[in-house]
Amino acid sequence: MTESVRLAPDHRLSRLRRPALVVGVVGAAALLLGFAVSREHFFQAYLVAYLFWLGIALGCLAVLMIQHITGGMWGAAVRRLLESATRTLPLLALLFLPLTFGLGDLYEWARPEAVAHDPILQYKQLYLNVPFFLARAVFYFAVWLVVARLLNRWSLAQDADDDPAIAIRMENLSRGGLVLYGLTMTFAAVDWGMSLDPHWFSTIYGVIFMGGQVLSAFVFVIVVAALLVDHPPLDGVFTADRFHDLGKFMLGFVMLWAYFALSQFLIIWAANSPEEIPWYLRRMQGGWQYLGGALLILHFVLPFIVLLSRDVKRRADTIAAVASVVIVARFLDLFWMLRPASAVYLSMHWLDVAAVIGIGGIWMWAFVGQLAERSLLPLHDPALVIER
Amino acid sequence: MSEPGKHTGPAGPTRAPVIQPGHTFGSVTDRISSVVLSERMPRLWWLGLGVGFLLVTVLLVAVTHLFMKGTGIWGVNVPVGWGFAIICFVWWVGIGHAGTLISAILLLLNQDWRTSINRFAEAMTLFAVACAGLYPILHLGRPWLAYWLFPYPNTMGMWPQFRSPLIWDVFAVSTYASVSAMFWYVGLIPDLATLRDRSPSRAGRVIYGMLAMGWRGSARHWHRYETAYLLLAALAAPLVVSVHTVVSFDFAVSVVPGWHATIFPPYFVAGAIFSGFAMVLTLAIPLRVMFGLEDFVTMRHLDNMARVMLATGLVVAYGYMTETFMAWYSANPFETYMIMNRFGGPYSVAYWSLIFCNVLMPQLLWFRRVRANVPLLFVISIVVNIGMWLERYVIVVTSLHRDFLPSSWGMYSGTIWDWATFAGTIGLFLSLLFLFIRFLPMISIFEMRTLVPEAEVREESP
Amino acid sequence: MSRPALYGLLAEFTNPTDLVAAVHKAREAGYRAMDAYTPYPVEEVAEALHVHDRRLPLIVLIGGIVGGCAGYALQFWTSTIDYPINIGGRPLHSWPAFIPITFETTILVAAISAVLGMLALNGLPTPYHPLFNAPRFALATDDRFFLCIEATDALFDEQETLRFLQRLEPRSVSEVEP
Repeated sequence: MTESVRLAPDHRLSRLRRPALVVGVVGAAALLLGFAVSREHFFQAYLVAYLFWLGIALGCLAVLMIQHITGGMWGAAVRRLLESATRTLPLLALLFLPLTFGLGDLYEWARPEAVAHDPILQYKQLYLNVPFFLARAVFYFAVWLVVARLLNRWSLAQDADDDPAIAIRMENLSRGGLVLYGLTMTFAAVDWGMSLDPHWFSTIYGVIFMGGQVLSAFVFVIVVAALLVDHPPLDGVFTADRFHDLGKFMLGFVMLWAYFALSQFLIIWAANSPEEIPWYLRRMQGGWQYLGGALLILHFVLPFIVLLSRDVKRRADTIAAVASVVIVARFLDLFWMLRPASAVYLSMHWLDVAAVIGIGGIWMWAFVGQLAERSLLPLHDPALVIER
Repeated sequence: MSEPGKHTGPAGPTRAPVIQPGHTFGSVTDRISSVVLSERMPRLWWLGLGVGFLLVTVLLVAVTHLFMKGTGIWGVNVPVGWGFAIICFVWWVGIGHAGTLISAILLLLNQDWRTSINRFAEAMTLFAVACAGLYPILHLGRPWLAYWLFPYPNTMGMWPQFRSPLIWDVFAVSTYASVSAMFWYVGLIPDLATLRDRSPSRAGRVIYGMLAMGWRGSARHWHRYETAYLLLAALAAPLVVSVHTVVSFDFAVSVVPGWHATIFPPYFVAGAIFSGFAMVLTLAIPLRVMFGLEDFVTMRHLDNMARVMLATGLVVAYGYMTETFMAWYSANPFETYMIMNRFGGPYSVAYWSLIFCNVLMPQLLWFRRVRANVPLLFVISIVVNIGMWLERYVIVVTSLHRDFLPSSWGMYSGTIWDWATFAGTIGLFLSLLFLFIRFLPMISIFEMRTLVPEAEVREESP
Repeated sequence: MSRPALYGLLAEFTNPTDLVAAVHKAREAGYRAMDAYTPYPVEEVAEALHVHDRRLPLIVLIGGIVGGCAGYALQFWTSTIDYPINIGGRPLHSWPAFIPITFETTILVAAISAVLGMLALNGLPTPYHPLFNAPRFALATDDRFFLCIEATDALFDEQETLRFLQRLEPRSVSEVEP
């Protein structure tokens, strides 16, 4: 049973590829139009959408490394899904480029005239300046690309050769890789997200980002796995037990998200200091409070209550439905965190929708393409070998 | 088809088993219950209990003196109004966390290696929480009025101040103590029945019999018992996170530089698990030798605990890093000064020692050879315990001793009574622990039986 | 039948596999009033006995909801109605500050419900039980596995049931005095 299993060309996931590309191209055209119409909206919409899709890919990288360290059937079952998502990182690195043209539109600290009147921004120039910002971005991507590339290459080598040394090598890289991911993602979150409100700071911010990315990865993988259950012979791998495992992780990370979010909110709310509280004040008025309330429901209360049920976690269709809700909530969460920096009132520009669908179309096209490249199951994963 | 057995596990080809081969149900029962039922205890046990009891006497003296004179005998004063009491409180609560983590979270994650250490770690939790709970009460000044902390209708017409993290602490710690005690007791019931049925003395049969509540291992009972145990684990897992989170709120919801940081909740929780696992190692390494339990607490356990320590240690290091970076990034002069004061101020020795103990030393655990070296592991675990105490010392003292107003800066150091109380709680902890080992099975017997190979129901061949 | 002075018949097995097989056969033979006793939880035995009690999770859920509501209500009522006092300019109804205690009381009451619910459903504590009269039953908490067919079963007949149990090749069969 360790022979290679390719994604069937007539499977609905494969058939999704072409429409995804069409949507992506149309979305990209719309984005170009949007850029011409409203440069400012374009970059803001693009940033949120980009970080959403990047979050899924990076979350998959993190989960991939976690499963290499912990082992277990759940990890082996979804490993190829995770790996395919990490192989989209080069594309995502490319998609980062448009942002570099809009730093001045996005970030106050990148506008010399704003910095000239602001002593705090002058102080932060040492860190928040365009060349260093770009150099850091290059460094982050370099780290992620190298780690993802090595893990993918060794994984392919493991398909050809059942040498246990390969598994150990991947495990060892994953340990260091997770540390690197933690460090790079923390600073990336500060650079790309936190510095939108350049006076504001919060030490848990990077942790919130990472927790969200890992959650994104789990819900994404659950949805893809649910699409694959009817793909023989994967029905024997994506069993009720596997969905139960993944569902538990999803529940855990939904709770963690609420925990991180509440920690930050409660601490800032209680201290009520003029440096920190404006971030929340802005997000608790002008319509944003409704989005915040929706987040509370969609990102925590609803999935939490539903996922308490064992049966929901064990059925592919129900767990995938919950996961789909959480995917939407993930986007709304980023939108709520990032967008109020430039918008006092809640409004969703058509560009916000175009960006997330456009980038998403291209990304899904790339993802499914990558998924079809290799066997859907790793051939010599120790956990799968034991199971058989 | 690759030949099965070539890979023995995801973590590599050579990992020690969770129980040495050759054991049967009977041998597991005998081996573990004999520690409780035997007439004699090893000399080291008497030594441990003796040292513990001696220190309890020190605690009694220190507390008596405190009750007579008041908290003035401690080093606390303006501006450092929170000293040893809170430092040791946080330290002890943190140590307790590993017990719940091992028993609840590892149970939920189906990690069978938890089985031989969970009972003992849960007991450690209870005793650590008992030691922790003493401090806030002693610090009240009028400890006989401690019940005022709880909301109850009273003639003064007053209620606790629910917006204060200190009252959250009352709820969190008392809930934690109660739930841990219930979890521990529920886990003990089947083993108490074993002791009831095996105890040679009538007193033993009566006492264990009453505690076992008539447990007879009925399949119907087991069914509900397991449900209850899993539910308790599912409740205890978020609870343990909440407890140290609330402890971190004691600091973080203030505005004091060095205390007010949003990273505090996860960073405190990681620190708690870090120190807790260090304490489990510190205790488990000598105990397994003392009672010859190497078959049950194997190298696999030590290795896994060392890995958890490394992982949580890295999270703690991450906390230090973000704190330092954000102190600069915040552009807040008080925050920046706080960090510079930690680096080079009067308490810098404590700061750099804690970095050595909590960040540098655990890096050795990356190496398999270090994790397999029991004496070295023991040393590292003690270093981490010291480091985590220093961490709380640095957080409490350096943040308070120089805050916003230079005119009210001051220095702090613990007095002989502070140290005596601290040593005394260590004694209390040790005494309770050694008494526990004497009277209750320190390893869960019934769960160990499930690890015996014949515990599995074989498929019948028709 | 003639002597009602019997609680049941107890068969002793040395491993879980034999016990599960015995339970299956007893079910097939039509016995219902029986229970198995094992030194550790054996899922297959519970399945063979058709034991599935789903009440405990519900009890715990209700306990948690009651605890959470009570915790929040306590804070709300004391802080805003019975003893309103301005602390640091915080609103009287400081809902963010009430979350931690609400969480703790939820867990506390849920956990208490789990323990008391389990004990109550199991009928514990049971200071006296006929099974403790069986001399070998003490091994149920050590290394032996027991099946007890109770006298209340419709099919129970002292001789017939004894023969049935002996056909299962147990290590021993003994009568249990009530």
